[in-house]
Amino acid sequence: MPSTLAAVELNSYLPIFIILLMAVTFAVANVAGSLLIGPQRKGGNKGIAYESGMNPVGTARKRFNVRFYLIAMVFLVFDVEIIFLYPWAATFPNIDPGSPDSLVWLGRILFFLFTTVVAYVYGFRKGVFRFD
Amino acid sequence: MDLSKIVTAQLIVNVAVILVVVHVILLTVAYLIYLERKISAYIQDRVGPNRVGFDFGLPILQKLTFGFGFWGLGQPLADGLKFLLKEDYTPSGVDKILFTLGPMFSIIPALMGFVILPWGGVWIMPELTLPFIGTIAGGPVLVAGANVNVGIIYMLAVASVGVYGVSLGGWASNNKYSFLGGMRATAQMISYEIPLGLALLAVLLMVGSLTPERIIGYQLEHGWLVFSQPLACVIFFIAILAEANRAPFDIAEAESELVGGYHTEYSAMRFAMYFLAEYAHMITSCGLFALIFLGGWDIAPFHNFLPLETSSVLVVLAKFGIFYSKVLVLIAFMMVIRWSLPRLRYDQIMQVAWQGVIPLALVVVVLTSVMVYFRLTDVVPMLIANAVAIAAVLWILPRLPRNEPNRKIRLAGSRFYAPDGHDIETAPTDPMALEDRPYEGSLPAH
Repeated sequence: MPSTLAAVELNSYLPIFIILLMAVTFAVANVAGSLLIGPQRKGGNKGIAYESGMNPVGTARKRFNVRFYLIAMVFLVFDVEIIFLYPWAATFPNIDPGSPDSLVWLGRILFFLFTTVVAYVYGFRKGVFRFD
Repeated sequence: MDLSKIVTAQLIVNVAVILVVVHVILLTVAYLIYLERKISAYIQDRVGPNRVGFDFGLPILQKLTFGFGFWGLGQPLADGLKFLLKEDYTPSGVDKILFTLGPMFSIIPALMGFVILPWGGVWIMPELTLPFIGTIAGGPVLVAGANVNVGIIYMLAVASVGVYGVSLGGWASNNKYSFLGGMRATAQMISYEIPLGLALLAVLLMVGSLTPERIIGYQLEHGWLVFSQPLACVIFFIAILAEANRAPFDIAEAESELVGGYHTEYSAMRFAMYFLAEYAHMITSCGLFALIFLGGWDIAPFHNFLPLETSSVLVVLAKFGIFYSKVLVLIAFMMVIRWSLPRLRYDQIMQVAWQGVIPLALVVVVLTSVMVYFRLTDVVPMLIANAVAIAAVLWILPRLPRNEPNRKIRLAGSRFYAPDGHDIETAPTDPMALEDRPYEGSLPAH
């Protein structure tokens, strides 16, 4: 693996902007094309939301279960933790195993994971992971 | 501005790969829908689509193709044409801007994710002379959409943007089914992002790099990672099934309960966007799976026939073909799963995520980091460690505290509600109902 391929300069992100432009163009062009080409017909009851043939009662903009919010909070805890783990995972195997640094690195991250386990147990005891 | 600084050999290859692969993926997506219908048909003992050829009902084309049906291969094209020509209706009461943005937010990340997959490995490009730009120095280039050193993180980041499409579509539709489907899908997708990230982490710990090509290089040396990380492999596959909203995790669009879920109110091309996004997402995540666990473009698990770097275009194309066939096999596997397993309930899905897969993935990460510390990352020690971990988990599981079933909720009118002095009836008590007899007029029991 030549080291020249390990692209670090901003130039290597140019293709990502190209594909972003392509994807946006694809999405906008398809939606606009279908809106332009397809027929447009108005109708009396056509705009009513389809709820299995029932007449809709009220709107869908209602309060929803707080558990979704709890899931979002717990997700944040875990996801931020994973993001912190990635740079560590990319460096840790490259450290000389004999050096004392290696043990320190392992110990720190195990402690970090332990704090997450504590958070998990707390959430479990509080009933965050109950969905029935 | 100096063009020759920007236009390097790598950039030319990147753009060429992007242009080719986008079209290959869009065509594959169209035919994946055909494949899915065929697989479902064979599983259900039907024939599936076999009528639409390439004549589209036009008499001239019918004469040219002699009325041959082409095994229904024209079906995706006809479907696509219909999506474009039907009415794209915006119901009254929807949030018009978000309603349009939803499908776009779904398709854009789905099309962007595959960019970092190293389809063709490293190609030693010859020197090239272009008009207006000049001579471009050759050298080793990565045959991928983009050559970034944080490829895996980029892919995770882009894949998680897809959640917005689903939740926006569900919210904007102003339909209770869409809303419920969108909420469920959002909760499910963010929950399964965690095991996805953790399983990926276990693999990256062994490789020690975030560059996709390095991951393949590692697997060329040490054998495919599916053998040394079987637990992470299973967790990852479950997570990508759930991320792509595929059965048995397809509560987002559970037909039997939610009509169509978040895309109930969509029609024409905006509806097709959601479908395209789902299938494109499948291709991307199966590509990631093939890259990480199945050695990318490598043919055999423990022996490399193809060189890491090559100057031959044929070898690059062969690598591309191998990679892509792995992706297609994985997708076919996903489809067989969809038509053989029943759909999980919402609370079951969340329990699988939070009380099953996430703790297990944490165990795998800790296990791998300890093994990496002792440098025991060969296949045999890792297999033994995985077996020990599975045995330990199976031993510990029945000894762990469990959630009691929820008996506190007494919603008036529900079957959990009983007036004071009464018991809850969960089975019929009427003797007529309990008696097993055929009702009048039906055939006598044999």
